[in-house]
Amino acid sequence: MSIKLTIMDEMARVAREHGKTLGQLDDDVALLDSGLDSLGLAVLVARLEDRLGLDPFTTSDDVQFPVTVGDFVKAYEHGSH
Amino acid sequence: MNDKPRNVLVTGASRGLGLAIARRLTAAGYRVIAVARSKSKPLTEAIAAVERDAHGSLHFAPFDLGKVEAIPDLVKNLRKEFGPLYGLVNNAAVGHDGALAVMHNSRIEELVRLNTLSPIVLTKYVVRAMMAEGAGRIVNVASIIGFTGYSGLAAYAATKAAMLGFTRSLAREVGRLGINVNAVAPGFLDTEMTHGLTGEQRERVIRRSALRRLADVDDVANAVEFLLGDQARSISGTVLTVDAGTTA
Repeated sequence: MSIKLTIMDEMARVAREHGKTLGQLDDDVALLDSGLDSLGLAVLVARLEDRLGLDPFTTSDDVQFPVTVGDFVKAYEHGSH
Repeated sequence: MNDKPRNVLVTGASRGLGLAIARRLTAAGYRVIAVARSKSKPLTEAIAAVERDAHGSLHFAPFDLGKVEAIPDLVKNLRKEFGPLYGLVNNAAVGHDGALAVMHNSRIEELVRLNTLSPIVLTKYVVRAMMAEGAGRIVNVASIIGFTGYSGLAAYAATKAAMLGFTRSLAREVGRLGINVNAVAPGFLDTEMTHGLTGEQRERVIRRSALRRLADVDDVANAVEFLLGDQARSISGTVLTVDAGTTA
């Protein structure tokens, strides 16, 4: 499964567990409009660290958390190289 | 206790209160991971004693908690080795005392780094693992000095008051994921940390306590065990004071 598909899969799982409905996940959609709240995003990052063995937000020097879905996926794609 | 032992990380577990907590939790059947810079003689003995008895288990994880930048890898490696973490006891701390006006800046910085920054960052990485599991318990060891005054402990008091605020807000943040966050606030204990206390100061603390004695490390360890246990499932964001009535 590609990194992007893994992220989408995990987003759907977290949304289901938290009783949320995911919206359209286009690249330019803001993460906080995706249907997950900040706590849901935190759970997502924790789960992705287990699945991908990677936490791009600890290893990166960038202190800003990504705003859009596209930037979020990119952080993982860059982090895996 | 479930058939599978619950993993609990205890920091500063090589001596004093941390060692007492590690011993108590091991006796209660937990699998305790004792984090400390070095393996003290009492910790080595405690590990050997556990191997003789059929209680929980006690493991040593060498780590200098002052190395905040290495904490993410520590947690990653511990999870790999031990599996899901059920509990975290943030006990490690230093107790530098002295008049603030002449306390060296490096000592102040060390207090904040070890007593506040390090446990907050450690909790960040451990709580993420708990979030992924949807369950967990965190107990922060604060101090009555976090809410009462004691001359010579201003910087120390600031770090402990910080942990009380941290406890309450984090409890709100992660509560709906099934994670409880509490603090214990010990009074003066007879440990290496309070060796600087003169006999007269010690007598004064005892005179002022409702029970006319000091609480000991086992009293505090019992409180930590309670907060980690199933009986405390509805307790979160609170501070359990164990001070023989000093602040009553």
